[in-house]
Amino acid sequence: MGIVNENTEAPVNTDQSESDVTIILSELLLDILREKPQEADGIDSVVVVDNVPQVGPERLEKLKNVIHKIFSKFGKITTEFYPEADGMTKGYIFLEYAAPTQALEAVKNADGYKLDKQHTFRVNLFTDFDKYMTISDEWETPEKQPFKDFGNMRHWIEDPDCRDQYSVIYEAGERTAIFSNDAKEPITAEERARWTETYVRWSPKGTYLATFHQRGIALWGGEKFKQIQRFSHQGVSLIDFSPCERYVVTFSPLMDTKEDPQAIIIWDILTGQKKRGFHCESSAHWPIFKWSHDGKFFARMTQDTLSIYETPSMGLLDKKSLKISGIKDFSWSPGDNIIAFWVPEDKDIPARVTLMQLPSRQEIRVRNLFNVVDCKLHWQRNGDYLCVKVDRTPKGTQGVVTNFEIFRMREKQVPVDVVEMKDSIIAFAWEPNGSKFAVLHGESPRINASFYHVKNNGKIELIKMFDKQQANSIFWSPQGQFMVLAGLRSMNGALAFVDTSDCTMMNIAEHYMASDVEWDPTGRYVVTSVSWWSHKVDNAYWLWTFQGRLLQKNNKDRFCQLLWRPRPPTLLSTDQIKMIKKDLKKYSKIFEQKDRLSQSKASKELVDKRRAMMEEYRRYRETAQQIYQEQKSIRLELRGGVDTDELDSNVDDWEEETIEFFINEEIIPLGDL
Amino acid sequence: MNVLTGSADNSCRLWDCETGKQLALLNTNSAVRTCGFDFSGNIIMFSTDKQMGYQCYLNFFDLRDPQQIEDNQPYLSIPCNDAKITSAVWGPLGEFVNAGHENGEINQFSAKSGEILKKAKEHSRQINDIQTSVDLTMFISASKDNTAKLFDSTSLEHIKTFKTERPVNSAAISPIMDHVVMGGGQEAMEVTTTSTRIGKFEARFFHAAYEEEFGRVKGHFGPINCVAFHPDGKSYSSGGEDGYVRIHYFDPQYFDFELEA
Repeated sequence: MGIVNENTEAPVNTDQSESDVTIILSELLLDILREKPQEADGIDSVVVVDNVPQVGPERLEKLKNVIHKIFSKFGKITTEFYPEADGMTKGYIFLEYAAPTQALEAVKNADGYKLDKQHTFRVNLFTDFDKYMTISDEWETPEKQPFKDFGNMRHWIEDPDCRDQYSVIYEAGERTAIFSNDAKEPITAEERARWTETYVRWSPKGTYLATFHQRGIALWGGEKFKQIQRFSHQGVSLIDFSPCERYVVTFSPLMDTKEDPQAIIIWDILTGQKKRGFHCESSAHWPIFKWSHDGKFFARMTQDTLSIYETPSMGLLDKKSLKISGIKDFSWSPGDNIIAFWVPEDKDIPARVTLMQLPSRQEIRVRNLFNVVDCKLHWQRNGDYLCVKVDRTPKGTQGVVTNFEIFRMREKQVPVDVVEMKDSIIAFAWEPNGSKFAVLHGESPRINASFYHVKNNGKIELIKMFDKQQANSIFWSPQGQFMVLAGLRSMNGALAFVDTSDCTMMNIAEHYMASDVEWDPTGRYVVTSVSWWSHKVDNAYWLWTFQGRLLQKNNKDRFCQLLWRPRPPTLLSTDQIKMIKKDLKKYSKIFEQKDRLSQSKASKELVDKRRAMMEEYRRYRETAQQIYQEQKSIRLELRGGVDTDELDSNVDDWEEETIEFFINEEIIPLGDL
Repeated sequence: MNVLTGSADNSCRLWDCETGKQLALLNTNSAVRTCGFDFSGNIIMFSTDKQMGYQCYLNFFDLRDPQQIEDNQPYLSIPCNDAKITSAVWGPLGEFVNAGHENGEINQFSAKSGEILKKAKEHSRQINDIQTSVDLTMFISASKDNTAKLFDSTSLEHIKTFKTERPVNSAAISPIMDHVVMGGGQEAMEVTTTSTRIGKFEARFFHAAYEEEFGRVKGHFGPINCVAFHPDGKSYSSGGEDGYVRIHYFDPQYFDFELEA
C-alpha cells in the first residue's frame, strides 16, 4: 500500500551516555519521518469530471487553463488526463490530486458547478465508480425513517371562537407565553421558561414561532408547539422569513470566513438543509435580502450593484448581478415581481426612480427627479400604489421640501401624481388594502395628521387634516379603514382612534409611556404596551377594541414584547366573502347571543369564586376568634385585670367632657308681638 | 401610658405620653429600625440595623426591672446574621415577635428563649412594613416585591395575597371591615423617572377575602411611606415622601359597599 514502517528507522543503543543522544535523535527523526510524504494510493486521489466541453485541439489549451483555474483551488493537481476521440476531447476528464482529501474537496465543491448554460460539471471520486459498479443485485429496502407527525400546523385557526394568538415575552426574557385573545381575559395556550434567549419571531403566515439561542434558531409549531426544525448558526442575531414560509434567512456576526461565507445563511425550512451562505459586512439595514412576494426571488444591494437570486437554485438570476451605479435603495412590490429603486443625481444626469419587472428586467417606468436630497420608497400593501417620498432642495433655496410622488401601478404606463408638502414629514403610511394614506407632518407641538385619498381619475384629494396632534406614529388596521395615531415614548403614550371612512375621531385615550402599538391580524383589537426594554416600570399590555374602548389591562412582571400571530391568507373566494357580508345580520344575532351567554357565565364564575373565598376566609376568622376568646383570661391577666378587648370595654375609665362653642348667630325679627 | 421610639441616632427612648417627658434612654451601636411594646406593656423589643461592622440584633428589655434599663443590658439579645430585620411586631400574648427581613423572610422569635419558632418564606424581596390586626390574631406584610400578604400571627400560615404593580411600602388591616389598605410607589431615588403627574400616588383598598382591589384614593404626589387605620375604623391616614400626612374620613357608601357575591 505504500505506508512506511517508522519503527525500522529507530536504532536501539544500550550504551549509557550515548543512548540519551541517540534517543533524542531518534525521536526527532520520528517527527520528521511522520511528515514523510506517503505514496498516494493511486485511485483515492483521482476525480472524474463529466460534462466538460468537447473541444478540438485549437481550444484545448484554453480549456485546460480554465479547468486548472477552477480545480486547483482544492489542492495540487499532479496529473490530468483529457481522453480524446476523433480529434475532440470526449467530454470527461481525469484529475489526480496530491492527496485524497483534496480530491474529496473537489467533489464537494465543484460538483454542480455551472461553467456555462450548457455545461454543469459533475465531479465524482474515481473510486465511487467502482462502488457503483459493484452494487449487489439484491435489493435491500432502505430503512424506514419514522414519520415526524407534528399534527395540524394550522390548529390555532380552527378555534371555534376565532381567537387570535399572540406571544408575550416577560420576566425580562425569562418566560415566554402564548395566549389566545379573548375580550374578557387572555387564555394561556403555552408557557415556557427560557424558551428563547433574546426574542421571538412569527413566520409570515403564522405557522412557525422562531426562538433564538446561542447555537442557532429553532422553529416551533402545531397544537402543542413542538420543535419542528433547528438551524445551527452560532451567534445568530437576526432572522427573516421568505413570504411563502419556504425559506428562513439567518444572520450571525460571528461566523464569517473568507472561503466559506457564513454570515448570512439561507435554509430550506421543510428539509432543514442549508441552501446557501453569503458574506455580510454590516447588518445595519436588516433584512439584507429582500424577498419577492411569491418567494421566487430574493435580492440584495451592494455598492453600485443589485444582485437578484432565484429559488430554489439559489443562483444569480441570469448568472449575473445588475450594475446600477450609485443605487441607494430598492424594494419589491408586495403584489407583483417588480422592483423599485432609485439613484441620486450624477453630474448632469438627474436622480431617478426606476420600476423594473422581473425576471425580464424590463424597465416599465422611469421617473426623473431634480435637486434630490433623499428618497424613501413606500409601497401600498397590495402593490396597487407606490409612494416615493422625495426630499428636495429646490434651486435657489436653502431649505428642504418634501414631495410625494404617487405611482398608480394598476394603470397603463404607471401614471405619477405629485403631492407637495409644506412642512417636514414625521410619518407616512398607506391604508393596507385601500387607496388612502395618512401623513404626520409639522414640528412639535404643532403636529398635523392629514388624510389623502388617491382617486381613480388621478386626483389626490386631501380628505381631512387634524392639527395639534400628540402623535409620532401611524398604525393602520390590517383590514384598512381604522387606524391609531400614537405618540409613543417621549410623547407619553397619547392615542387617537380614527375612522377614516368619514375621518372622525372615535376616541382619544392614553397609555402612559406606551412604547408599542400592535393590531391583531383581523383588525378587531389593538394592543398598546409599555416594554421593559424601554421603560423599567409599569410594564404591561392593554387591549383595546378597534374603536378605542379599553378592554383589559394586563400587568406582567418585566413585560418585554407582544407579537400577534399572523394569519394565513383566507381560503374564501371573493364571491363567498360577498355572500357572508350579505348575510351578516343573521350571523350578528347568533354572535350577540353567544356573547351574552359568556358574559353571564363569567360573572357567575366570578361570583362563585368570591363566595368560595369568603367562606374559606370566614372559617379561618371563626377559628381565630374562638382562640381569641379562649385567651381572654390571659389578656386580662397581662393588663392587670383591665378589659381592653373593645374600644368601649372600659367606659367607666373614660371622662366625658361637654364643650360648647359659638358657631353662628342669627337674628330673627319676630315682628309685633 | 408610654410611647416607645427608635431612631437612626442610635437610640431607643421611652416617653410619658401625657407629659412628653423622656423616661428612659437606651443607646445602641447602630440605627434602631423597629420597636414595640408587648401586650402587657411591660416588655419592649427593638431591632438594630446591620451597620458599621455591627450585626443586626433583636433586643428585649423588661421594664419592670430597672437594672436592665440602667445597665443598658437587655435580658435577651438575638443576633441576625444574614438578612437584617426591617420590621417586627409582637404576637397576641407577648410570647413571640414576628419579624420581617431584608430578604423577604418572616421569622417568629421566642421572647423567652430567642429561638426561631416558625419561619415563612413567601415574599421574594424586602419586607417594608408589618402591621397587626386590631386583635393581633393576624398581620399584614408589605413588600418590595409588589405584594402585601396576610398571615396568621401564631401559625405564620399565609392566608391572602394582594398584588399590585409597584413596591408596597406599608399596609394596614381595617379594624371593622374585611378591608386592607396599601400604600407604596417607586423608590425615592427612582421617582423622577416615573409619572410626573400630580397626585399619581394612590392609597389602594383591597377586599381582604376576595383579594380584589375595589378603590383608590389619590392625593399624594410622592410615594406613600406609611398607612394606618384609625382604631374605630372610620378613617385612615397616610404619610408620604412628599412630606404630607393625609387623613381621610370614609363616606357612608364606603361602609355599605359590597362586591357582588
